[in-house]
Amino acid sequence: MENLDITETSTIQKLENLLLVAVPRDLTDRDVLKLRRQVLEETRRYHSQWVLLDFSRVDICDSFFGRFIQSTARMAGLMGANVAVAGLQDAVIETMVELGMTLPNIHAVLDLDDALALSREGETDDGLLAMESPGHAITDSLSLDSPFDDSTFIPPTEV
Amino acid sequence: MTGQAQNPKRFSISSVVDVVQARRSGLELALKMGFHPAEANKVAVVISELGRNIELYAGQGSITVTPHTEVKGQYIEIIAEDQGPGILDVARVLKGGYTTSSGMGLGISGSQRLMDEFEIHSVVGQGTRIRAVKRMQ
Repeated sequence: MENLDITETSTIQKLENLLLVAVPRDLTDRDVLKLRRQVLEETRRYHSQWVLLDFSRVDICDSFFGRFIQSTARMAGLMGANVAVAGLQDAVIETMVELGMTLPNIHAVLDLDDALALSREGETDDGLLAMESPGHAITDSLSLDSPFDDSTFIPPTEV
Repeated sequence: MTGQAQNPKRFSISSVVDVVQARRSGLELALKMGFHPAEANKVAVVISELGRNIELYAGQGSITVTPHTEVKGQYIEIIAEDQGPGILDVARVLKGGYTTSSGMGLGISGSQRLMDEFEIHSVVGQGTRIRAVKRMQ
């Protein structure tokens, strides 16, 4: 595993065809945008096919963070990479859902092992946090109303 | 709503760093009061959303977080105040999906959903005052 320390608090690591991003807590909006650019740069640099955003350290996730996940997935998708999230705390998930966030085309995995398994299998359908998988528990809870409409970010593609 | 206020915490907001500090303090305060982590998280996110709006639209303002105790239980009150441009169409902002800057268009409407009470008083050209209340379940 090659360590690519970007800042004092965030770490991006290359692992096989996966880019592991440990998202720090207490990021400002500026930090969030900076992190997104770093993720995309490293994705391209290592031709990563998967990006895993590890949120286990994040205990406050407001709408800007939701946009970060969403826009990173859209942008990484244009580079040919899939994005998965892991480690979202239950308190954070409850707030995200009630806030009205939608995270289409985002994979949810339990941990790094699951992410590696997913990337090795090359699966793209199971675990999608989108409406095309209505039977998935997390899918149901994270596919709500109020899609984002900010012009700064690429809006989600409704499915 | 009446109740005994305890040690209000006032945060000056003029940068994104101030917003992060205010929401972190709000989370810790709510947890200290005994809020469930999921409820405390909502308090923190609302502080973050309202703080961002102040920073984006007004440039500066304040957020005051006050714990209250009354016979029916405890609650936390968040008051966000600024002397910025004000909100032209409050109803539209509350409906969601409306933004005039790099914001999300979800902050106010989403915050309203997370809180038990949510009031906006805004005068164009004078400023905005938003009061939000989260009750302990």
